Amino acid sequence: MSFLNDLWHTLWKHIRVTLRQPVWIFFSMIQPLIWLLLFTQLFKNISMMPGFPSENYLEFFAPGLIVMLAVFSSAYTGFDMLEDINLGVLDKILVTPVNRYALILGTILDSTMNLTIQALIVIGIAYMMGVDIATGFPGIILILGIVSLLGLSFSGLSHALVIVTKSHVPIVVVANMITLPLMFTSSVMIPKEFAPEWICTLMRLNPVNYAVEAVRPLFISSYDWTKLFSGFIVPGIFAFIAVTAAVLAFRRFGD
Amino acid sequence: MNIIETFDLTKIYNKKIMAVDGLNLKVKKGEIFGLLGPNGAGKTTTIRMLTTLTKPTSGYGMIGGFDIVKKASEVRKIIGYSAQEAGVIPDATGRENLMLYGHYHHIDLRILKNRVIEILDLVDLRDDADRLVKTYSGGMRKRLEIATALIHKPKLLFLDEPTLGLDIQTRVRIWEYIQKLNEEGITILLTTHYLEEADKLSDSVAIIDHGHIVAIGTPKDLKSKIKGDTIFLTFPPQVQEKKNKLFKKAERILSDLSFVNSIQPTKEGMCVYVNNGNEAIPVLLRILEKEDLMIESTTLSRPSLDDVFMKYTGRKIREVE
Repeated sequence: MSFLNDLWHTLWKHIRVTLRQPVWIFFSMIQPLIWLLLFTQLFKNISMMPGFPSENYLEFFAPGLIVMLAVFSSAYTGFDMLEDINLGVLDKILVTPVNRYALILGTILDSTMNLTIQALIVIGIAYMMGVDIATGFPGIILILGIVSLLGLSFSGLSHALVIVTKSHVPIVVVANMITLPLMFTSSVMIPKEFAPEWICTLMRLNPVNYAVEAVRPLFISSYDWTKLFSGFIVPGIFAFIAVTAAVLAFRRFGD
Repeated sequence: MNIIETFDLTKIYNKKIMAVDGLNLKVKKGEIFGLLGPNGAGKTTTIRMLTTLTKPTSGYGMIGGFDIVKKASEVRKIIGYSAQEAGVIPDATGRENLMLYGHYHHIDLRILKNRVIEILDLVDLRDDADRLVKTYSGGMRKRLEIATALIHKPKLLFLDEPTLGLDIQTRVRIWEYIQKLNEEGITILLTTHYLEEADKLSDSVAIIDHGHIVAIGTPKDLKSKIKGDTIFLTFPPQVQEKKNKLFKKAERILSDLSFVNSIQPTKEGMCVYVNNGNEAIPVLLRILEKEDLMIESTTLSRPSLDDVFMKYTGRKIREVE
């Protein structure tokens, strides 16, 4: 029981801070708008090319953007924990009998929840710009499920880095180093049919790609069960590994 | 009865940095115990081990009869920890901060609400309870920080440098709170590198240097071991490079004098322990001048913990920083 109590109070501690910063909501709306406008203008002509899987680029890119934002923003979520470490708040909390697992899981879960809300906002913006979600409400739930797994993966990784190094540098370095390559070795911006063979090979190793590939049909056509299966399994395994790493690192925190 | 007992408690960081070296400590229930030492002496590491934040490399410790490693979760229920840093969440209100720590101690909600009000009164923050902590002054934050460590009525409170960086008025006020808490029956272990703080508050003091305890006892006992007064003499700056030679010469001359108890070198000169400082200064100066030993300045000090520190470590506590 104390696990659930501690998990809830850890979540609430973070949610309250988020709610006090309405600017956050504003920025999470502005940023996707800018991306959507920029990319749909920049890549407009690509959708005219033979073999492009969608009617227009906006429809193709919107699901990609949801995945991309999930990766970009979750990669930096460890900063929240770093602030608690630097302020001495985490030490003080660890002197209480709080359940250690609830503490780290609650923090990662909060970051993931923020992403899910951000994904909903992007879906709403895309909808207003004329993108219908082909699979409707159940599709949205599945999209949010996949986004959550990506969120758990990258915020797990981000937290593990902060816990081990107690510094912001590794997050910045790793996030800068891996996020863009992860985007370009997936079909976030360009259909895989347009990519050279060696990049297609890399795509098969990239968990982000499995997520995009599963989310996109939900947006523009119908349920693709094979892609949905791997869209949950691959990010799911990745999320499991990353969160486990964070939990294990946290158990050794302080030594 | 001892609420804290440690046996050869040792912490080595990264296999080479000896932070705490075989510490044997006994803290009696109900007392204020001061751990006095310069920065880097091992005070914070000692507290981190006792509060279960970090595991000892070897040796062990008991708090309230529970082993600090094997029974860490039991230890956490009876201790409160006030950290050197801010330790409170700036984007939450004072009340929310207290509630959070209360929830983490699994206190029943109805009891907790009352307890929060009680404790806000104790630290005089009731009127500011619903303001965000980032609008608090430094002293208010510190009071709230101490309050969060008290929410579950701990038997033992750890205060790591409780008045570090606070102005003198706030410091005096924090001292009053600490004494008030102690009167209510809470045992307190505090670390400090302020001598007057250890002297004023503590029933017992341990002086710690390089991870060892070099002296332990009541402030009065420790000071009474220093017989008489201390005279600090400094050599003029132009002869500083020869000060070792000068010190040896001075030592040879002065140790023959009947009223000199002992002499020790210091960073810029020496200190001379005598029975009566006021009478000794003119005599000392006259003798030293006759022997061509120039003295730049003299300071007379009555026995203080600083002299105790000096006696055991050969340094002034401030010089180490």
